[in-house]
Amino acid sequence: MAEQTQIRIDYGRDIEREIAHLQESIAQHTSLVSRYPSRWLALSLLMGDEEIHSRVKELVGEKNEILQQVQESVERLRGIYGEELEIVIADRRYGFINGLVREVVERAPGERRTLSDKLDRIVTHRVLGIPIFLVAMWLVFKMTTEIPGPYMDWLDSLISGPVARWLVTLLRFMGLGGSWVESLLVDGVLAGVGGVLVFTPVLFSLYFFLALLEDSGYMARAAFVMDRLMRALGLHGKSFLPMLLGFGCTVPAIYATRTLENQKDRVLTGLLAPMMSCGARLPVYTVFAVAFMGRYAGRFIFALYLLGIIWAILTGLLLRRTLFKAERAAPFILELPPYRLPTLRGILIHIWERSSLFFKKASTIIVAVSIVLWLLLNLPWGVGDPQDSLFGKASSAVAPLLAPAGFGRWEATGALMTGFLAKEVVVGTLSQVYLGEESEPPEASSSILQDLQEIGVGFWEATIETCRELINLIPGVHLGGEGDEQEGEDTALVQALRRDFTPLEAAAFCVFVLLYVPCAVTVAAQRQEYGTRWALFSVLYQVLLAWIMSVLVYQGGKLLHLG
Amino acid sequence: MMPLSMVASGETVRLIAVRGGRGICFRLAELGLVPGATFQVIQGSGQGPLILAFGETRLALGRGMAHKIYVESFMRGGQECQNN
Repeated sequence: MAEQTQIRIDYGRDIEREIAHLQESIAQHTSLVSRYPSRWLALSLLMGDEEIHSRVKELVGEKNEILQQVQESVERLRGIYGEELEIVIADRRYGFINGLVREVVERAPGERRTLSDKLDRIVTHRVLGIPIFLVAMWLVFKMTTEIPGPYMDWLDSLISGPVARWLVTLLRFMGLGGSWVESLLVDGVLAGVGGVLVFTPVLFSLYFFLALLEDSGYMARAAFVMDRLMRALGLHGKSFLPMLLGFGCTVPAIYATRTLENQKDRVLTGLLAPMMSCGARLPVYTVFAVAFMGRYAGRFIFALYLLGIIWAILTGLLLRRTLFKAERAAPFILELPPYRLPTLRGILIHIWERSSLFFKKASTIIVAVSIVLWLLLNLPWGVGDPQDSLFGKASSAVAPLLAPAGFGRWEATGALMTGFLAKEVVVGTLSQVYLGEESEPPEASSSILQDLQEIGVGFWEATIETCRELINLIPGVHLGGEGDEQEGEDTALVQALRRDFTPLEAAAFCVFVLLYVPCAVTVAAQRQEYGTRWALFSVLYQVLLAWIMSVLVYQGGKLLHLG
Repeated sequence: MMPLSMVASGETVRLIAVRGGRGICFRLAELGLVPGATFQVIQGSGQGPLILAFGETRLALGRGMAHKIYVESFMRGGQECQNN
């Protein structure tokens, strides 16, 4: 501890006297001194910090001279200053900060701020604000669904081609060729984890744009612009930030509700955030959209996102009128930082923070799920038809519940069941269930050199394809590449899905995926933030809503003869 | 003296008092908005939240909160600071 560099603010003779007085009493208790700096503790107590008060009670007992002294000090000081102590202390602190800033900061005459203010005049404009915001959102959405397509194809061919070949070669070299270990690693882990890793480009670009919005300072403006709209829902402008983050990943969205001051606002926002379709759900929609929606794929996905938003709004209105009645949203106060040109470094750090969470999931939950799933699919040992396996039996038992929604078959049910753990595994489960048996062990013939060449050329082609799509983006609407280069697992899965689902069932399935529990980690986060009861409420509400909505979609579609 | 919500855009005002709970007072004080502080209203009258310029800081403030903050015009204003 560099003692001499510690900042010490002089709060004036009267307050300093009380602080010194309190510090003496605090010094008597080693349990306090060993935990907290005594000056800080004295100040916190004087400012009425409730948490510190209860900590002190815990450590030195309900009845002790310190708390009594604090009360006396506060009374005395209120007599002297005639106003709340925390305001006097804040005033002193700001005085100190202003002095310090004046001494050490040299600035060019406020240029960035004036430019920032000019931008704000347009971006936060009462009329223009919302259209600008909507255009920004639309662009982000377009970019994240269209740019990554070619890279996804490339990754897919990389995993099902060279990587699978290397793995098989390695296993044969170790004398494990054709054994159950090969089946576990190739059909289980590689199929499951690979199926998920293919979607990293989507997540990268989503996180890139979210980081761009955050780092440029626009996110705070978006909250400002949305405040009036959110208020109509009984929410808070600040609730908007967690919701927006929810499009990336629900877990940070839940934690972001901490920025709200009022516990009820936090819980309500945390109950709505899961309905913002997270990045992990996008792969599921993409596979089904590619399989069934043809040139309407983009619009289909957009409609799903919209459905999530609509249900968040309806749920918000509903809860404000029932469980959160008469709870007014806390006052809105938010700092608008100056606009900054985001640095590449900053954006990369943000992308890394978010995607490392994804990789952590991929390397833990998803590997575990893949292995367990492989086991359940192969037990009792040597089972031929996957439907007779343990997994098939368990899924078949639950499947009738989903029959009204059209996809009450064991494969789809099983994928949704594993999806409780993480939406990333839904596609993985589908590929394991549909393709696990079909995928023939890849030939281990080509040399490393050929493989590396293939990887490099593939990446280059993907980059060219992306550039072409970026240019395409300006007038047209269409998702993914031309579809001519797609080969391997993804198309095999798409074909399998086409055999097993009708388009209407596919739509109902996607609606279910959109609305039910995002992942186990989200539930854990909700439990940690809002308590077990709210977490359970959230799970029940979402499962029920997902079931009702997908049944409505399926039955409604059948009535309209869409099935 | 008038509520902040009545101040027109572009005017500079001095904060006199906050008629609100401890929570609001403290939250504002934390941001440096204590009685006597002067700031400019960048986006004011009308509906929806306000934007204040407070030194280098820009604050967005809900209208409900602005009703509870009393200010006086900085140009003509006197020196006395009262509080609730």
